[in-house]
Amino acid sequence: MRLTVNGMTQEAAPRPGQCLRTTLRDLGWFGVKKGCDAGDCGACTVHLDGQPVHACLMPAFRAEGRSVTTIEGLAGPCRSGEGVPAEFHPMQAAFLAAQGFQCGFCTPGMIMTAAALDASQRQDLGTALKGNLCRCTGYRAIRDAVAGITHVDPGGEGDPIGRNLPAPAAAETVSGHARFTFDAAVDGLLHLKVLRSPHPHARIVAIDRSAALAVPGVVAVFTHADVPRRRFSTGRHEDPRDDAADTLILDSVLRFVGQRVAAVVAESEAAAEAGCAALRVTYEVRPAVVDPTLALAADAPLVHDGADRPGEDAPPLHAHPNLAAEVHGGVGDVAAGLAEAHHVYEGEYHSQRVQHVHLETHGCLGLIDADGRLSLRSSTQVPFLTRDALCALFELPPDRVRVSCGRVGGGFGGKQEMLTEDLVALAVLRLGRPVKWELTRQEQFIGTTTRHPMRVRVKLGATRDGRLTAMALDVLSNTGAYGNHAGGVIHHGCNEVLAAYTCPNKRVDGYAVYTHTLPAGAFRGYGLSQTIFAMESALDELARMVGLDPYALRRRNAIRPGEPMISNSLEPHDVAIGSYGLDQCLTLVEAAMRADPGEPPPGPDWRVGSGMAMAMIDTIPPRGHFAEARLRLEADGSYTAQVGTAEFGNGTATVHRQIAASALDTDPARVRIAGADTDGVGHDTGAYGSTGTVVGGQAVLRAARALARAILVAAAERMSTDPAACRLATDRVETPAGPVPLADLGPIEAAGHAEGSPRSVSFNVQAFRVGVHPRSGEVRILKSVHAADAGCVINPMQCRGQIEGGVAQALGAALHEEVIVDGAGRVVTQTLRGYPIPTCAGVPVTEVLFADTRDRIGPLGAKSMSEAPFNPVAAALANAIRDATGARLTATPFRPDRIFAQVMNAVTVGEG
Amino acid sequence: MKAFAYERPATVQDAARLAAERPDARFIAGGTNLLDLMKLQIETPATLIDVNRLPLAEVTDTGDGGLRIGALVRNSDLAAHPRVRKDYAVLGKALLAGASGQLRNKATTAGNLLQRTRCYYFYDTTKPCNKREPGSGCAAIGGFNRIMAVLGASEACIATNPSDMNVALRALDATVETVDPQGAKRSIPIAAFHRLPGDTPQIETNLKPGELITAVTLPKPVEGVHLYRKVRDRASYAFATVSVAAIIAKGEGDQPKMAKLAFGGLAHKPWRVEAAEAALVETGSTDAAADRVLEGARGQGSNDFKIPLTRRTLRATVAEALRA
Repeated sequence: MRLTVNGMTQEAAPRPGQCLRTTLRDLGWFGVKKGCDAGDCGACTVHLDGQPVHACLMPAFRAEGRSVTTIEGLAGPCRSGEGVPAEFHPMQAAFLAAQGFQCGFCTPGMIMTAAALDASQRQDLGTALKGNLCRCTGYRAIRDAVAGITHVDPGGEGDPIGRNLPAPAAAETVSGHARFTFDAAVDGLLHLKVLRSPHPHARIVAIDRSAALAVPGVVAVFTHADVPRRRFSTGRHEDPRDDAADTLILDSVLRFVGQRVAAVVAESEAAAEAGCAALRVTYEVRPAVVDPTLALAADAPLVHDGADRPGEDAPPLHAHPNLAAEVHGGVGDVAAGLAEAHHVYEGEYHSQRVQHVHLETHGCLGLIDADGRLSLRSSTQVPFLTRDALCALFELPPDRVRVSCGRVGGGFGGKQEMLTEDLVALAVLRLGRPVKWELTRQEQFIGTTTRHPMRVRVKLGATRDGRLTAMALDVLSNTGAYGNHAGGVIHHGCNEVLAAYTCPNKRVDGYAVYTHTLPAGAFRGYGLSQTIFAMESALDELARMVGLDPYALRRRNAIRPGEPMISNSLEPHDVAIGSYGLDQCLTLVEAAMRADPGEPPPGPDWRVGSGMAMAMIDTIPPRGHFAEARLRLEADGSYTAQVGTAEFGNGTATVHRQIAASALDTDPARVRIAGADTDGVGHDTGAYGSTGTVVGGQAVLRAARALARAILVAAAERMSTDPAACRLATDRVETPAGPVPLADLGPIEAAGHAEGSPRSVSFNVQAFRVGVHPRSGEVRILKSVHAADAGCVINPMQCRGQIEGGVAQALGAALHEEVIVDGAGRVVTQTLRGYPIPTCAGVPVTEVLFADTRDRIGPLGAKSMSEAPFNPVAAALANAIRDATGARLTATPFRPDRIFAQVMNAVTVGEG
Repeated sequence: MKAFAYERPATVQDAARLAAERPDARFIAGGTNLLDLMKLQIETPATLIDVNRLPLAEVTDTGDGGLRIGALVRNSDLAAHPRVRKDYAVLGKALLAGASGQLRNKATTAGNLLQRTRCYYFYDTTKPCNKREPGSGCAAIGGFNRIMAVLGASEACIATNPSDMNVALRALDATVETVDPQGAKRSIPIAAFHRLPGDTPQIETNLKPGELITAVTLPKPVEGVHLYRKVRDRASYAFATVSVAAIIAKGEGDQPKMAKLAFGGLAHKPWRVEAAEAALVETGSTDAAADRVLEGARGQGSNDFKIPLTRRTLRATVAEALRA
């Protein structure tokens, strides 16, 4: 058929039933993205004869004879393969000026929708943009873009630190030319699909693959009989022993509904799917345990039964075989602290299972490269640790495996896992052909990871004047069928929540429990969002008992500089208060809440109240987090930085460029950032634990300083002068004997390393003012303020976006998101319709304020600010609802039907 | 996706005849629902009959002051139509409360009428569903049923109709016009168009095999305030937990003199109880009206909240209409 794409006539031969989205991508228009493939997310929005439509829900054959415009052609006619246009469409320019994106995966669809709005539709963006989801920004930057507001610093002379410079890939992002994981054309590509377990617990008795192999196009079927008998964890850490090795690429024992049963590789996705459907599997269904409390019963079915692993080392010994990890510890004597307390509060809180919903699903493309190496292009936060895991699994030396990233479309911790690379590597190594596996949104919900659901019991004691005498936490974490991140999350979740407060008596008992449900994993906050919800809610109640306002209670008890940071043991550690801005954060938020009450409530009968919560987080994960950067002065006088860490919307490339340019006294536009490639540097632990700026940036800073020294030495040598008398400038070295152009000195290269120790702490304070309708239970956020101590803020625009996005994601988790697992262990919410993440209409504007501190540990005084903004949000919202209505909500999400009865009850009692 | 034959008939008659001749044929208009279901292999038609070229995309005035909406009028065009905005505001409001702009640009009047349920279990092909696979059972009963029906459900199915448009059409007393493979035309009152699940939840409407929707007609407009109130979990773009389409004319004092009330999110079809409207007009009590609407209502556990929520939503809607 013939159609017009971006002003040019194109021939296409869509397969029966093929949608326009994949047809356009087959033609090389990679700006058309897939977030859901079901008309929910809008990432595939294109214009059809000028009207925005979802390309995923448009049969390709119906575009015959019509005119399609993709993001690449929005600015004017172009051919596939042409680069960034010379001139942008006004809406693209507006997204550039406001930096209305972070990871950029939703951006093409967002811009295509926004570009078609008329003036009146732009007045109501909540309605106009409801078909486009963004998980990173919290929508403020997008609203500003559509409104034509400029945030970007035009650049020019002066130190780039502290300035709102644009992201290095900004032009590519708004024009659809940023290359994400699957935006690569590979010849002879095979497609992998998996059959997933229908049972929460079963043993595979037999798999008959004959019918699957007979499906035309099917090339191979892999089952548990075909994989290395080597166990690993999908969770990736610097030290692989942090996570229990309890996973096989394909296992004969199935421990959750959705676990891989077998893989089919075929010439097309359709054939691979048909092959999966043709597999005949005989299961021996076993009893399952879905509830974490029941999993600890004496006769509970075992999730990891030693009998299933004959000849292997027994898993580590815990009090119960279904325990994946435990943390126990304390200081002082909690019983004595409670005995001496004048006020004692005790409460139980529940945090639900939520999912990351990064718009780019998991997946990778694998092939044998020209050097005969296994090479994977993957959507991951941890390319190096994935490479290491693949080397261990397949017994390959590190120089025979390459893992690299394109631009990564969001992660939020979900990509600190090896969820697809192992199986793709197996297929590539066995078949010798390129193989692609891109998860569907449904697979993302049933077969990847979630936040750990937690039950948290808090007990607090305080003196008459509100000084804490005892803090006790009892935590039950549901880690699901596998132990990836079970230990890390329970330890971290029980750590900073206590270390943030000075109290002589503290106690923690934490249990991470295996159940026959989909595995939990790393999720923004890494356990802290759940425990901080409990602790900060409990402290709010305690403040009420004492008769102190919540800010005063925090000031009285929160850790101060000079005080030892103690969570649940007196063991020495490497965390210090590198800079202290908590006092400023409390004051900034309190003042902002006083200064302006925000929007009025919708009606006179609405109850209005305010609440706040604080959070502290270590800036780096414990026990070593390594980064390496290589900076190179090129022969043409420009700079290239090879950085290990991946850019997945967190803005590290932006920050790294500013750090390098600052140290090299040059214009950031002269620094090219490349990275997230095991060929680029030696080792990098990865983009997790909020380390992109403080560890990755530290390595960049050290490399840039080393390079600066080397350049000065080279210039001095050239001019026979003293390096100390030379000075770097934008494109030259000034020497007493005259300028030397950088282009005359390159290439010169220098490396920098960071080890992730010592570590500092960041602080966040969130407050809300809410209206609650006493008869409907509806909650309206009237004002939202967030203060952060991020040390020296290298790019305030970028950091503000991180905070707004964190608050928005946390509001989704606090108000309506929930991955629902039914009594049979099956995930019920398998679509973005069933799992509603915040839309533009649902996210209030959050006023973001920064404490003015300079960290003595982080690079150029910076601290981390990635996970942290998420953590205080649920408690601040619950505390505001409590203030408005008297109702104490103890379980997220606060859906209207869940809170209605409680609010009604409290309001009625209050009126009585 | 399964392979299928594709036909693009030029006349309404050819389309209906093709549909009768071919086993397992489905009409495709906007495709926003059907294509998604085909990708998931929930719908596996052997033949797709593309009706987009049929001359059914007009909105015209009827002789008696009403409005005739062609089956292929796009939801976005319908919501923006001057007569809809002026005389049938509840319809425009319902359409705008529904899908995103991108979907409304494709979705059609007839397609929206036939929109299939968003029941989680209907979409999950690994679970039993009588609607998807008759006789297999209903995983929603005893499962997670927060979004399911509290009225008119059966032992076989507790799914709800997800359409906002249908709720407004029910309040407006719309009529669905069709033509059958023999060329016979029929007018089906909207009340008789959608079915309750009974023991055949896979049959959702009273359309006969091959019968093609050609238009929806609205009677001449009635006086009153038009409201569409939708309660949902997320501020925008979510399916309704409960919705109400209301046309209310204010009488003396605080009492309505006329009310037309249809509810979404409660049942397998838009729910309307005329006796409730009479009770509201006679007594002025929204509780009396709600009692009639909710007669026989039964929660399934996690959707119990819909029953009191319907009552409160009705109260708030009537109050808003009387304030207007």
